[in-house]
Amino acid sequence: MIFEEIAFAALAAVTVVTALLALLVRELVHTILWVAVFFVSLSALYFLLASPFLGVLQLGVYAGAVTILLLFGVMVTRKRIFSREAATGVGPVAVALAFLTVILVASASSVLPSGDLPVRGVDTYLLSSTLFSIGGAWLLLLGLTMLGALAGAIYLVREGRE
Amino acid sequence: MTELPPVDFLALSAILLGIGLFGILTRRNFILLLIAIEIAMNAAILNFVVFASFAGAGVGAYGESIAVVLIGLAATEVAVGLAIVLALNRLRGSINVAEATTLHS
Repeated sequence: MIFEEIAFAALAAVTVVTALLALLVRELVHTILWVAVFFVSLSALYFLLASPFLGVLQLGVYAGAVTILLLFGVMVTRKRIFSREAATGVGPVAVALAFLTVILVASASSVLPSGDLPVRGVDTYLLSSTLFSIGGAWLLLLGLTMLGALAGAIYLVREGRE
Repeated sequence: MTELPPVDFLALSAILLGIGLFGILTRRNFILLLIAIEIAMNAAILNFVVFASFAGAGVGAYGESIAVVLIGLAATEVAVGLAIVLALNRLRGSINVAEATTLHS
């Protein structure tokens, strides 16, 4: 119990700090490294929430594939990978929105259940049977979306199109 | 099993959504914009996982299957976004979204 509280506090702190660092750091490559740490700590949170399958999926898709894709994007579009870029200022509207969100959640927290709700988690067998029976339509739609995205990406990057 | 209050996880998710929104509104580099969108999307996925695992096995399986679909969708979005980055870089020589004005009349 106490271990889980400490683990949650540490993981939450790492997640928030790395998400902020990813957006505020000046070098684009450092940004991608921070965002990789962000994805890994989020997957650890999924393990803490008794959802090991989603944790593994997060590690594979985000920390693996998406990070490498982003790194590839940086390497292809820049002559010097570590060239400095001018940072844009912090907009007051964005800060106000972020604070508003936090205040809204803080005010809603008295309504939501707290404390005595144990995590029961989801069995991976049950998840897969749901995914391929009732959630099958969603999975099919996801496949079609990916096919469309593949065709669109090939169209966008193909040679000789100015 | 965990007996942490769900509100803690939801607050974390809201903070991440705020950080993502902050990035979307302030960054001008296309790749940073993509990363900010990813952070906001991860906040939404975390929300689904939190409610799924506090709802228990019966209902939670639906929430987790939606989270699986969302993770795939976010990966697809990054692929298309990077294709746009490459096309923008070839057309304009920079990936600053403020310079992507080709569609202006």
